Amino acid sequence: MNQSRWRKFRKRVVRHRMLILMALPGLAYLVINNYLPMLGVTIAFKEIDYSRKGLFNLLFGHEWIGFKNFEYLFRTDDAYTITRNTILYNGLFIVLNTVVAIAVAIVLNEIRSRFMSRLYQSLILLPYLISMVIVGYLALSMLNVENGFMNKTILPLLGIDPVSWYSEPAYWPYILTFVNLWKNVGYLCIIYLAAIVGINHEYYEAAVIDGASKWQQITRITVPLIAPTITIMMLLAVGRIFYSDFGLFYQVPLNSGALKPTTDVIDTYVYRGLMTLGDIGMSSAAGLYQSAVGFVLILLSNWLVRRRSRDQALF
Amino acid sequence: MASNKRKLWALTLSLLLIAGLLAACGGGSGSGSGNSKGSSGGGQSSGSGEKPVELIFAMPNTGTPMNDLELVQEEINKIALQKINATVKFTLIDWAAWNQQINLVLAGNEQLDLLVTSAYMNYSSMVAKNQLIPLDDLLQQYGQGIMEAMDPVFYEGTRINGKIYGVSSFRELVADYGFNARKDLLDKHQIDLSQVKSFEDLEPIFQLIKEKEPGMIPLVQRNTSNTVVNDMIASRVDNLGDGMGVLMLDDNNTTVVNLYETPQYREAVELARKWYNAGYIASDAATSQEGYVALMKAGKGFGYFSNMKPGFEAQETGLIGYEIEGVRLTPAVGGSSGPVAFMISIPSNSKHPEKAMQFMNLLYTDADIMNLLTLGIEGKHYVKTDNGQVRVPDGVESSGYVFNQWLIGNNSLTYVWEGWDPNQWENLKAFNRNAVYSPALGFLFDADKVKTEVAAVSNVISEYKAGLESGAVDPNVLPKFIEDLKKAGIDTIIAEKQRQLDEFLAANQ
Amino acid sequence: MRTNAVQQTLFHAIMAALSAACLFPFILLFVVSFSDEQSIILNGYSLIPDSFSLEAYRYLWGQLTPLARAYGITVLITAVGTITGLLISSLLAYSLSRDEMPLRRVLSFLVVFTLLFNGGLVPTYLVYTEVFHLKNTLLALIVPGLLTNAFFILIIRTFFKMSIPGAVIESAYIDGASEWTIFSRIILPLSLPILATIGMMLTIAYWNDWFNGLIYITNPKLYSIQNLLNRMLSNIQFLMQNDLGGRSSESLAQMPMNAVRMAMAVIGILPILCIYPFFQKYLVKGLVIGAVKG
Repeated sequence: MNQSRWRKFRKRVVRHRMLILMALPGLAYLVINNYLPMLGVTIAFKEIDYSRKGLFNLLFGHEWIGFKNFEYLFRTDDAYTITRNTILYNGLFIVLNTVVAIAVAIVLNEIRSRFMSRLYQSLILLPYLISMVIVGYLALSMLNVENGFMNKTILPLLGIDPVSWYSEPAYWPYILTFVNLWKNVGYLCIIYLAAIVGINHEYYEAAVIDGASKWQQITRITVPLIAPTITIMMLLAVGRIFYSDFGLFYQVPLNSGALKPTTDVIDTYVYRGLMTLGDIGMSSAAGLYQSAVGFVLILLSNWLVRRRSRDQALF
Repeated sequence: MASNKRKLWALTLSLLLIAGLLAACGGGSGSGSGNSKGSSGGGQSSGSGEKPVELIFAMPNTGTPMNDLELVQEEINKIALQKINATVKFTLIDWAAWNQQINLVLAGNEQLDLLVTSAYMNYSSMVAKNQLIPLDDLLQQYGQGIMEAMDPVFYEGTRINGKIYGVSSFRELVADYGFNARKDLLDKHQIDLSQVKSFEDLEPIFQLIKEKEPGMIPLVQRNTSNTVVNDMIASRVDNLGDGMGVLMLDDNNTTVVNLYETPQYREAVELARKWYNAGYIASDAATSQEGYVALMKAGKGFGYFSNMKPGFEAQETGLIGYEIEGVRLTPAVGGSSGPVAFMISIPSNSKHPEKAMQFMNLLYTDADIMNLLTLGIEGKHYVKTDNGQVRVPDGVESSGYVFNQWLIGNNSLTYVWEGWDPNQWENLKAFNRNAVYSPALGFLFDADKVKTEVAAVSNVISEYKAGLESGAVDPNVLPKFIEDLKKAGIDTIIAEKQRQLDEFLAANQ
Repeated sequence: MRTNAVQQTLFHAIMAALSAACLFPFILLFVVSFSDEQSIILNGYSLIPDSFSLEAYRYLWGQLTPLARAYGITVLITAVGTITGLLISSLLAYSLSRDEMPLRRVLSFLVVFTLLFNGGLVPTYLVYTEVFHLKNTLLALIVPGLLTNAFFILIIRTFFKMSIPGAVIESAYIDGASEWTIFSRIILPLSLPILATIGMMLTIAYWNDWFNGLIYITNPKLYSIQNLLNRMLSNIQFLMQNDLGGRSSESLAQMPMNAVRMAMAVIGILPILCIYPFFQKYLVKGLVIGAVKG
């Protein structure tokens, strides 16, 4: 039995050898760039001794110390705070960014003037191109206690007293969410726009003939037809739920200690903790922890998606 | 069809290319200096028949212009080739990238023979991770010049577990702290700084400035790590490397304590708070992105605290643009981290440690090399003045080479810049000699056993420090701060530190 | 038409507001780069500064050689990286989109898996430096991490599957076309929107990358624009937060001031903005898939 299955497989391979050839460069790259280094995930469990050098030693040498490198992540009350913050922010970001990006893509698609549409697209992409460090400075110019735009101009207009923004943790979930949305919506929108553009016009024409309203067209045609794209984007986002945009959480609050309760996430915690130690075992442990959680979540979500529609699942 | 075949060949060819790349480099683990671009010094033979060794020296890029580094390097190599049959290639790495890049280089097999090390750049963890080699024997064999030229503290003070891992650069190892202000404003309001004997004495002066000079900040905080509180108590504390467990020098004992629990810290924080509330300290001091130099330069600040040294006022005047007058409010004190602030070490990657030590030796004995390294090329980056000092050549607006003289080697061999005291180096040496040193001088803490706690405590400190120490946050959070520290494990760190300190002191009777 | 004037006005209003919110900070950035340093320190960033100054740009002009070189490097790696990356990604995506592909499910999983687990910085660094000797070479700016990734591959694959009717491919196959012909004659032309999209994302990724430069390059001649900018900014931050025994102020005093940092950000962003309209041409409406109707 096995012989004939193998033979059938070989026939298939030969018949479609072109396809395999086409896939090779990409696969080769992923092996080099992703799988080879993945072997190094074992560092998370080791104590690295620099007198033994090189890749081979890194992968197969050094002393095993079990889970000791993971301890600092779970040790203090901070562990709960950073985990909670990371999940809540990411959950909010995923939902909010997706909804807004799709909405904006739809609006852009509807605008009749091609020139204006492209102009808007370029403008909303601008924030994505500005580095987070600069964004931090721009935020400072808004929120500075003395000179900031908010305290100097806007709040007095509304008759409110100046606020010491960088000392009040409560405002920052809003500030960070807004900054994240502002920065990413233009970029995300590109993807959804490309998907929308690919929808066959005949669907819309038929709908109009049947008397569908704009809103019905959007909800019954557009959204369902870009559902695969939405699904993939959200699945991938879920897989990264334990990772944060380091620049956003570190630079924008200007690394202000008072804001920690609401702005500290796993990535910033790891960074601050390891600055003096420089221990790659510990930072690797953090990375592994984040990956593992994301992996489990993606398996779960992918399974859920497959149950609804096989085609749209990642695998 | 023909065109199809052609496309097939194109595809196969490109795949072969990739495969070839993979294969060619597949066996290449540890094939020597595959990273450095080109190797210089190949053709020049000094007649000894041996091929000259090229040493790679990693230095932090301090942000000063170093465009002419290659030219300077060439000149240095002319001398080095002659004297030790070796040349050196300097690699500049930015401060911000330093830890990461150096760790990466040291994890692999890339060539690196010398590097600048510092307690600020995790010197003791580098030793604990075996990234550096002990220098004791090398010093004896090839570093006699160093031992002759420098006070023993410059190379003994870097010992960890009894071995020397770095040689310190010549600079002031101690600091006295004081207050510095703009002379023009001092004169305008007839303030006599010599009457000020303590930090508290400054209050009436701050009040005066606040009233008479609206919009000006009486006390500018230097930056978010050299806070007001830090500058006020630094001379009374030996922070034993990381500030997690310190020695209070006033108490004159060798008991490691939690700085944040001490009465001295509390008093300083309360004083800072008082001043903050009175408006003497800028309201955004805790998060300001401007250093004190920028603020002073812009005319926004009156004065600031700082660690000082001989010639400090002249240096500050040059930086700020206004004439600065200072008063020293504490005696000169040397903490255990003095010598280890900036050193040269040899990493475990080096395949030429003897040559590396020989070059290091030159850095402490050869005036020509040091002048080249720190000042540049004569005529291009500096010219001599009549009295033997040096200045920038006429017509040169921005020099192509500016070096930080406290970073490497024996600077007392070099010429003195115009505007400084001609006896600058002698003064520094006397300054070092006459200071009071902490009983823990030469002690370096190895944090390896408590690295989990260190990571957790680092996070706690970063939460409270900037706010408390600039006066921006009310000291009533101190109890919570201390509690959080304890939960993060600071007592474990202190216990371990005390144990290592006692061992060190016992071994060094 | 499908929409009426009221709806159009509404849409324009929404987009105008959004665009303004995105443009405003950039204008601020732009204005600050022309401001006098003193007034920035005294009054913070403001849209209408007390005094204008070209000092920042004069400083940058003095750095023309390294800047021009950095620009050249960035353009080169962006062009090469984008084209190569697009090619590789779409080839792989195409083969994964065809049901006939042997081992399709396994390979798809392997592709996705790379998104979930990462070996970390040190192993990646060692692979590229020890095994492939990429340190301080141009390839180090093109290959690591950026050339393609599962995200792009999956997006393209989804597009291929969803937007290109199977009937088209079937008929071509029956006519005896090879995979390569199908790919280049049918798939690619029909996929311009998604190729333009991913191409744009690749371009942005390469243009903005400073990380590869940070860890693989120590030769100043190989810095990219963003690398330069980021180094400068990180160094300033580092010195602000780490005192180095009181010495950071000396170094800080030498470093570019606020206006210069903003000016560098401006010159880092402008080229990309100019390229974007070029990509937009392909994101056009109504790309008719004519072959289906036939």
